[in-house]
Amino acid sequence: MKHLLLILSVLLFSSCEKMLFKKDLGSIDPLVNFDYLWNEVDQKYSYFELKNINWNQIGSTYRAMLSENSSEEELFSVLAAMLNELRDDHTNLITPFNISSYNVALTGPKNFRARTIEEFYMPNPWRTGALTHDFLSNNEVGYIRYGSFMSEFSDDQMDLVLERYKNTKGIILDLRENGGGSIFNVPKLLGRFVDSKTLVGYSITRNGSAHNEFGDKEEFYITAHDGVKYTKPVIVLIDKGSYSATTFFAVATKAFPNITLMGDATGGGGGLPNGGQLPNGWNYRFSISQLLDLNGNNYAENGVPADINEAFDWSDLTKDEILDKAIDEIVN
Amino acid sequence: MNKQIITPFFSLLLLFVSVKGFSQERDSLNLQEIDSPINYYTQLSVGLNNPMYRDFATSPLFYSGFGLDLSAAWLKRADKRERIFEIGLGISAQSPRVPESNFIQAGGLAIFGNLRFFYQELWKLEALSNAKNNTKVGGAVITTQNIRVNTALQNNAMGLENLLNIMASAQWTRDISRTEAKQLKLWFIKPTLKPVKRDLRFLLNVGVLNFNYRPGYAYSYDSEMNGTDTNPVSWVFSNYKWSLNGFRLKTQLEYIKYLPNGNARSLSYVWEAAHAPGKHEAFQMASHRLQYTIHFHTKKR
Repeated sequence: MKHLLLILSVLLFSSCEKMLFKKDLGSIDPLVNFDYLWNEVDQKYSYFELKNINWNQIGSTYRAMLSENSSEEELFSVLAAMLNELRDDHTNLITPFNISSYNVALTGPKNFRARTIEEFYMPNPWRTGALTHDFLSNNEVGYIRYGSFMSEFSDDQMDLVLERYKNTKGIILDLRENGGGSIFNVPKLLGRFVDSKTLVGYSITRNGSAHNEFGDKEEFYITAHDGVKYTKPVIVLIDKGSYSATTFFAVATKAFPNITLMGDATGGGGGLPNGGQLPNGWNYRFSISQLLDLNGNNYAENGVPADINEAFDWSDLTKDEILDKAIDEIVN
Repeated sequence: MNKQIITPFFSLLLLFVSVKGFSQERDSLNLQEIDSPINYYTQLSVGLNNPMYRDFATSPLFYSGFGLDLSAAWLKRADKRERIFEIGLGISAQSPRVPESNFIQAGGLAIFGNLRFFYQELWKLEALSNAKNNTKVGGAVITTQNIRVNTALQNNAMGLENLLNIMASAQWTRDISRTEAKQLKLWFIKPTLKPVKRDLRFLLNVGVLNFNYRPGYAYSYDSEMNGTDTNPVSWVFSNYKWSLNGFRLKTQLEYIKYLPNGNARSLSYVWEAAHAPGKHEAFQMASHRLQYTIHFHTKKR
């Protein structure tokens, strides 16, 4: 009997976590979910001041569109519209039936047409890992296309590519419409075009509830890679579709005199996104940090400007004016 | 689904406990093997774990699931004092407790792993002990490193936290040995139960100093920008902060059956709960574990 009492008391004690922890906060109430997301963004989003966003007013406006009886589609529509007020492609609402996005690339002209390059410049390129590449302009120029920082390439593959173009006058690195990906691939790629470890910028992250409350500057370095390097002129092609990790790459190039940005300003995406979940199980993300250049300037979120502006002329699809300009810069 | 997992596991555990699995087992009980002044044991355990957690830095929802737990321990036990060092490893599949949708149900899957180290030292409390009962009190240190992977959380797909707790401990052991052979009368079957040494043990650990290592204000691995230049531990934990707050509790009820050669096997129910508020957003976890242990009597003095 004593044993039975002991076992029962232990089992009783063992279910105490339900009393020890706060109640289950799962909820499908639209207003509960709205308030949760609004508050998370309010507490952590990093670009309110830079973009002059009145988040309180936006909250009031959109909350009034919901009631406790709103459907899930209506809730998604309102939350997505509210998040798009941040004008930030690192901001998404992810549900089983739809994903919201701002689509910053649509705010500027399109400046890249893959078929033009494949048909009129490089009919038989090499494809080495995530890199598509070949010689241009009578072997005077090497062209490397890297379409996404999500895609991987090995050190050996990069060695092979750069070894192939070691006798060229310069390399064109095409990052147009590269929407970003793994930040690890930024130093991995850029480290091939520099001589020594160089400070290229800073990152600051929200660390308080005030919209302008940020932690200390964290230094962002690029270190020269141990493998094959290429330190002759490099022209990096960018456009509004160059986002996130590509914007980090573009900011970092400003510290290196042998690298030139050409095309249109990048789309931005200078903040690292924070991911989370709402009480109804939907997921979200938004930027919680800012990227600054070496002088502390904060232009990354609105787009890194090109050093040489050039645009694609869609009236003649046999030519890529941006690529032609880059070839011309290197050869002449 | 859960029943499908639990039922065979329970059956297996009961089978282990009930059958004579040790080839060196002898018919007579030699208490001298066990009742030496000091005994050393190496313990190997396998358990079915039912953990749950909630990380307010990324979600207000509880995650729960089932998984396996493996541990090894080294125990030095004497009548008046004992100490144990344990290393444990758990891994489980977790899903969020998402409220029912009226449209399309959200879900998800997370992998929850943890590595823990536990050291405890206990001294006998004579006032609460006698021939049948042994009560010991003392202290313990436990550290747990959690590793959580949930790809739905985007850049925060990886969740890490360390809990370090200095705990007050109390253990009560009741000798429930069968000292004489006993014949059962089950209708026409009349098996004879031989003498056997058995203990029922209850252990309680209560956190006194509860440290936790949690993310900074905004949960993101922003130092990954220099990830190729620094080792992963450096950039992953660069914004983490130590805090001294929260609580941790652990209870264990163990039924131990000794063999004449001094080895033993046991079945335990282990419950743990921890609350780590951190500096900004809290982490909570609890677990229920059914554990089978083999105790190898490695040395006596």
